[in-house]
Amino acid sequence: MRPVVAIARLTLKAAFRFRLVPVLALLLIGGVLLLPAVIKDDGTARGLTQIVLTYTLGLITAVLGLTTLWLACGTLAGDIEDCQLQVVAVKPVARWQIWLGKWLGILILDALLLGLCAGTVFLQLQWRARHLSPAQQEVLRNEIFVARGSAREVIPDLDPVIDEILKKRREEPDFARLPRADARRMVADQVRAQYQVVLPGYTRIWRINLAEHAAALRDRPLYLRIKFFAVDRALTGTYEGLWEAGPPSASQRVGQVFSHAAETFHEFPLPPNLLDTEGVLTVEYTNQNPTALFFPIEDGFEVLYHQGSFATNYMRGVLVVFCWLALLAAVGLAAASFLSFPVAAFFALGLLILSFSTGTMKNIVEQGTIREVDHDTGMVAEPNWFDHTSVGAFRAALWTVNLVRDFSPIEALSTGRTVSWTTLARAFGQIVVLVGGLFAAFGVLVFTRRELATAQGKV
Amino acid sequence: MGSEIISSIDATTAGVAPVSPAPNNAVIAVRGLTKVFKDFWGRPKARAVDRVDFEVRRGEVFGLLGPNGSGKSTTVKILLGLLYPTQGHVEVFGHSPRHVATKARIGYLPEESYLYRYLDSGETLDFFGNLFHLSPRERRQRSEQLLEMVGLSQVRRRTVGEFSKGMQRRIGLAQALINDPDLVVLDEPTAGLDPIGCREVKDLILALAARGKTVLLSSHLLADVEDVCNRVVIYYGGRIQAMGTLKELLATPDAIRITVPILPRDILERVLEILRREAGPDRVRLDNPTQNLESYFLGVVERAKQSEATSGATSGHRVAAYLRGEDQAVPSVDRALERFARPAEPESPRVTTAPREPAVDESRLAALSQGGPPSPPPTPPATPAAAPPNLDQADQRLTDLLGGKS
Repeated sequence: MRPVVAIARLTLKAAFRFRLVPVLALLLIGGVLLLPAVIKDDGTARGLTQIVLTYTLGLITAVLGLTTLWLACGTLAGDIEDCQLQVVAVKPVARWQIWLGKWLGILILDALLLGLCAGTVFLQLQWRARHLSPAQQEVLRNEIFVARGSAREVIPDLDPVIDEILKKRREEPDFARLPRADARRMVADQVRAQYQVVLPGYTRIWRINLAEHAAALRDRPLYLRIKFFAVDRALTGTYEGLWEAGPPSASQRVGQVFSHAAETFHEFPLPPNLLDTEGVLTVEYTNQNPTALFFPIEDGFEVLYHQGSFATNYMRGVLVVFCWLALLAAVGLAAASFLSFPVAAFFALGLLILSFSTGTMKNIVEQGTIREVDHDTGMVAEPNWFDHTSVGAFRAALWTVNLVRDFSPIEALSTGRTVSWTTLARAFGQIVVLVGGLFAAFGVLVFTRRELATAQGKV
Repeated sequence: MGSEIISSIDATTAGVAPVSPAPNNAVIAVRGLTKVFKDFWGRPKARAVDRVDFEVRRGEVFGLLGPNGSGKSTTVKILLGLLYPTQGHVEVFGHSPRHVATKARIGYLPEESYLYRYLDSGETLDFFGNLFHLSPRERRQRSEQLLEMVGLSQVRRRTVGEFSKGMQRRIGLAQALINDPDLVVLDEPTAGLDPIGCREVKDLILALAARGKTVLLSSHLLADVEDVCNRVVIYYGGRIQAMGTLKELLATPDAIRITVPILPRDILERVLEILRREAGPDRVRLDNPTQNLESYFLGVVERAKQSEATSGATSGHRVAAYLRGEDQAVPSVDRALERFARPAEPESPRVTTAPREPAVDESRLAALSQGGPPSPPPTPPATPAAAPPNLDQADQRLTDLLGGKS
């Protein structure tokens, strides 16, 4: 372990001696402080949060992420090209220890910079919050400076239902002529619509089981977070509807008509103590518009409830960001394990850009090809070996990327939602151990087999 | 008179570590080693080493000699596990060069200063000490001794990037010795060093050999190799062109050189007459012994040091105590000590041959026999006399050479 720590310290020393740490710290803290000064908020709690928390944390993540990638490539590839690793590798240090030492050094550096910047963001948020109106400060306390749990309606497994309906419909001659995949998609949309679509004049009922938290939620408000799409555009741009909550015949049941815009999130509070005796919250929505509204199963309806303090939640959220940085460091080191410096950096950046193209990857996997598809069916006519191979690769890539992108700590913090310990542990497991471990294993393997003395050095 | 005769072979090779290694104690074994560098597509680009065989035995100072690009450094890097052989078999201490634990017994000075430029001398040695799992106390002690030895103790807070090339070689040498290695691999160790530094490095090699360390020296500088090596291989074009002890390679068995003090003319003439009669008049040569330029230079600098100050690296000092074995509770069974203590085996005749030389110049004979001061003055040879010194004497001599007086 001593060599690993020695190499980590060396990496850290290099970052300080080359002035990377002070310069980057100054830039980041400057950015964190200047951004809210340049972009004025609208005086609301949400506006303030958007700029002081969402934008600044986003900025820190982006800058530190790119720096980490660049630094990881530079520290290993640079040492190989400058032949310094020749002197290290002839000591009783395994190559994996060198690799791990570099990784550890970068992680410590990231922890330092991220901690410094995140601390600045936290303090600035607290300081700027004092300048809000009392009403907005109340909103901030209840909706942002809090860790809120999230509960959604439990949707049953729809596949058996879809398959059964599909089987019956396939007996119809017209329907049987459709390609099976298309037919199944149509049936699936119809089945899912029962849970998502609210027709004009109809009422949709959500029942959310909060029994587990009932005691903790006594006398605390709940929050509904909704998002919907409209089939036809309203002239006013908003859509009215009656929202009612509480047990159907109870005295504490509340109801109010709201007018909301489509295709964006809305959040509004519910008074405390609306759960029934079994701890179930019942919410009904009556569509008073002449058009159908569509609440997506994934994020159309959500109940938020108080779960913990903001400070701890903030720390967990920042730690998820740290997991991303750890992965980027592994990606950079893996690239530098077999490529020279600038090439390694561009390769790693390319991977990063690819990871943002999940939409394209998803399309390829769904269409079954990276070639042109049949415009009528949206599928490839006759998939060949190339389609199978490439789609398999894209499916694996998509699965891997989703493991990493399955977390939204900044969005969670901006909306006062809990980043639970479980989420953090899952992030660590998926991002650092699983995906980071894959890159580390690849990097160490290649680095171990690499001949280090082929570089002639710049000294 | 016979007792005053000084064998020239003694004078020129007394510094070489006198080892008689056993045949089965190979530290390095190389058999059929071939290294072909390939391009991106795997096509052969250059055959750097071609079917090379040799062994380096424990306690030897072994030289890899050859012009630039002859394959010396490639061989060294394969021995260190930095390059992998295309064909052939390499063992270091009985293991593959990539065996991690074996590397704890190896010290390596690369051909250039491949050190971290942002670390100072102390940090550099501390870092490498950590890689050998040395305790903080050991690292501190060894660093101090090594910095003192290589003459960098006064600039220990300056970063390596600010060092001159010579100073970088010195700190490079120090890091190679931080683990008190059993095998020291030195790739062009005197490159970039001034003559004093060169001498210091060569004396250090001798001191290491005297402790039973094995030294592999790769160099294209003939003087370096000649001064310290027991055995050499000569590379050219990636192949070994010659291999053997210096004596085997350099001796001219059909001629001898006799060195005597200034004698009266009549005695000299009598001796010459006998020699001419026996060997033939045109095959006898008479001249003054001369010291080499390195010895002369060191003498001048030594005298200048008494009155002049300098900046930068100072001359090195006494060899680090742990490298002399003084740190060990039970001194290692120093075979070198035994060798030094053992009476020297008489060499018969105690002279060696030299290349064919011109015939005697009569006028020169006259000048010599008159006892006039020869030119250059007859200073003692740079290398010690034939009698094998014991280890203390060797240390003392080394200390003096490394600047112990300053």
